[in-house]
Amino acid sequence: MKLDPSVLARIQFAFTVSFHIIFPTMSIGLASFLAVTEALWLKTKNPTYLQIYRFWLNIFAMGFGIGVVTGIVLSFEFGLGFARFAQIAGPAIGPLIALEVLTAFFLEAGFLGIMLFGLHRVGPKLHFFATCMVAVGTLISASWILSANSWMQTPAGVAVHDGQLTVVNWLHVLMNPSWPYRLPHMLTAAYLTASFMVAGVGAWYLLQGKHLDFARRTVALGTAFATVLIAGQVFIGDMVYGTMLKYQPSKMQAAEGFWEKQSQSPAPYYWFIIPDQKNQRNRFTLGTPHLGSIWLTHSLNGRVEGLKNTPRELQPRMAMVFYAFRIMYCLAMLMFAMGVASLWLRFRGTLFNSRWFLWMLVFMTPSGIIATLAGWYVAETGRQPWVIYGILKTVDAVSPVPSQALLSTLIAFVCVYAVFITAFLIFTFRIIRRGPVEAPVYAEASGSIKNAFRPHVLDSPKRLADSQFS
Amino acid sequence: MKTSKVLRRVYDVTATLIGVLFFFIIVGVFGLPSAIAGLALFVLAAVVVCRVFPTEGARS
Repeated sequence: MKLDPSVLARIQFAFTVSFHIIFPTMSIGLASFLAVTEALWLKTKNPTYLQIYRFWLNIFAMGFGIGVVTGIVLSFEFGLGFARFAQIAGPAIGPLIALEVLTAFFLEAGFLGIMLFGLHRVGPKLHFFATCMVAVGTLISASWILSANSWMQTPAGVAVHDGQLTVVNWLHVLMNPSWPYRLPHMLTAAYLTASFMVAGVGAWYLLQGKHLDFARRTVALGTAFATVLIAGQVFIGDMVYGTMLKYQPSKMQAAEGFWEKQSQSPAPYYWFIIPDQKNQRNRFTLGTPHLGSIWLTHSLNGRVEGLKNTPRELQPRMAMVFYAFRIMYCLAMLMFAMGVASLWLRFRGTLFNSRWFLWMLVFMTPSGIIATLAGWYVAETGRQPWVIYGILKTVDAVSPVPSQALLSTLIAFVCVYAVFITAFLIFTFRIIRRGPVEAPVYAEASGSIKNAFRPHVLDSPKRLADSQFS
Repeated sequence: MKTSKVLRRVYDVTATLIGVLFFFIIVGVFGLPSAIAGLALFVLAAVVVCRVFPTEGARS
């Protein structure tokens, strides 16, 4: 059997980047959640907040580690699978990735050690500063990467001469048309992911009748953040939709499941379709009448543009884009419903007693991760057949390497990543099963970094007893 | 007893409808200014409910 190197390169990158994105999403969200929790602890001196901090710090640390390692792999894969992309896009993308390392990674590396191991060495305020710096580092990192990826979606600030790309305006490369919308969309997705994870674990403890104070506070915090964030995300999502409709209409045409140049009026909103790409039609559709016009054109009788507006050879695969979009959108609606329900239950004073709601929170624990993955599938599969929209096609971007090399490295990645995810899940479930550990009200040490290295702080019996930071 | 149960259901349905209305407003069905106003109102309402009805001390 002859394997196509371009297909293998795409499968490999899709697998590794899908695996990778789970962990930065968690760590961006959890880093900010940890900063908020530590701030609450410093303000109230309530030891439960320190418990929450220490509990989630363990999971954050594992996720952060795997996120960094799997992120580095992606840079190497540009050479392994997409050398022509790296050659052509390098002048624009390369500096952005280098700047991510110089700004975000250095900041995170400088403060991560203090955040993980320094609570009883540097004192609470300096430790809080370290947590904030790590959280800021994750934001800066996301902002560079989103800038690079958004440039691939809506390239700007470059000129192409003889197949070679030259940057003519760095500001336009950096702040390309989709970046101002996609960055907050991604950051909000990361915060939502953390909120539902935190609330879900708290709900599980409430259902089990364990660690009640910890559980109540995490459910209260998680649902409060999730409610505000999902409202913002729905708003930002609509802005992203409008932007992509302007710059990448084929993506949104595929996402809505219409083929004809103009849909019927009023347009339905499709929930389920069986698309036939070859014959440019749907074999089966299931939708809500009028809703397509209302949601997509914001009028009662508006028509929606279909995929036939895009030449056949430049169309993305409708099924992938449509279902990825539906998964993301349906999860967003479910999250919004959970937010509204949490407000209503708070109002009635039954937030912790409603078992149906707590079970829903448990089931929604991974919802942020699934929605983020689905959103990235919309972004990446909807851009096809382009890797840099309108400039370079994916088939022209792959490395001139034999398919055996790509297949063997793909198998190696699957095996190594299976070990990573298994280890992560085993340790995470172990931490959740064990539950939060009692924490002192105050950190033992206080003051400066200089104080941290004094023998009485380094060798303190209490610190040594707490050295497992959980 | 029966009336209060019916009333509770009415309140539940009303809350759901308000939630759906907010979703439609925020998603931009009534235009951008309404979406911004709806978002601000929803966030304000969420903050007020979370502040006025603290849940940490509630019995589980």
